[in-house]
Amino acid sequence: MSGGGGALTTGGKPKRGSSKRKTKKRVGFRIDMTPLVDITFLLLTFFMFTTTMAAPQVMEMSIPPEITEKVEVKESELLSFYVRDDGALFYAMGNDTPERIDLKNLKEVKDVSIRENLKPELENKLIIALKVAEQAPYGEVVDILDQLNQAEGVIVDKLKNEIDPATGKPKERKRRFTIAPLLPEEINLIKGL
Amino acid sequence: MPKVKKKRVGFTIDMTPLVDITFLLLTFFMFTAKFKSEAESEQKFTIQRPRVTPDTTTIPQNDIGIIKIAIDSATNDTNYYYELANETDRQKVWGAVKGLTDQQRTQQQLKVTPEVLNELVRDTRLVRPNTKFAIDADKRLSFKWINDAMNILRKNQATVFNFVTDKKGA
Repeated sequence: MSGGGGALTTGGKPKRGSSKRKTKKRVGFRIDMTPLVDITFLLLTFFMFTTTMAAPQVMEMSIPPEITEKVEVKESELLSFYVRDDGALFYAMGNDTPERIDLKNLKEVKDVSIRENLKPELENKLIIALKVAEQAPYGEVVDILDQLNQAEGVIVDKLKNEIDPATGKPKERKRRFTIAPLLPEEINLIKGL
Repeated sequence: MPKVKKKRVGFTIDMTPLVDITFLLLTFFMFTAKFKSEAESEQKFTIQRPRVTPDTTTIPQNDIGIIKIAIDSATNDTNYYYELANETDRQKVWGAVKGLTDQQRTQQQLKVTPEVLNELVRDTRLVRPNTKFAIDADKRLSFKWINDAMNILRKNQATVFNFVTDKKGA
């Protein structure tokens, strides 16, 4: 912190008579930074501990509006995922016998969705229905939705790279998805599996 | 012959780089810090959100109505809560609900029954039709709670909404 002070003079020529006079050496000064650093560290610690870096994110859902009349869908174009009260997960195409998916291997949900959605005859036609029992854990439902969303990214990318012969443009993805409670007949369907 | 004692010389450490970094970090944390909302600081529950694959989506800050479904940390009861971010809208919506105390009318978040929640969602849609909705629920809850909330949104023509989640691995 010392030095530099000597360069600041009032300017002009030094007086002849004063050459013998001893010039007083300017002494540099120090500011004690300790309190400032103390406070800074205190504030830094406070902000570090109170800040949450991981802000919550969102998963957009779009559900069908309230309708009174029944909508008929082709069996062959319906892929259903069933979640039982105990959390067990099954899937079935149309009226096929449901197959179980191991919860430790939830990635299978993504694989099934990609496989079925990309079949040429089901492209943009397949409806995915997630049927959930009342007592099934919400956390697991979101895990399944996450896998379906992951699959959606792959499907969109794949379709983008293909040209639609009708329009001559890259194919567009039309997602068809619904989430609904399990019906009594569906509960019976997966009861003993 | 007596040993010549070497005079110990004090030493100084240059703290400048340390202070520089500290200020830099302090500035960063000060600007990025986001404090809890009034509703969050008053609530007596913590929601264990489901964790999903990270992406860039964030919860909208303005004109949002959040339906919270949480387990009370003291009583272990599950309840619905409704938070409305926009203060002007809140005054109008809260004002239309019967049976609220004066203190409740000043709160940002209300503990509600499904019937009152339905009224609040309906009034929110009437006051500002483009209000966004989100469901912030605990992952330990059964799906029935969430399905009932979804039905309330569906009944009030709010068919597009968000599930609030946390990032996996965060």
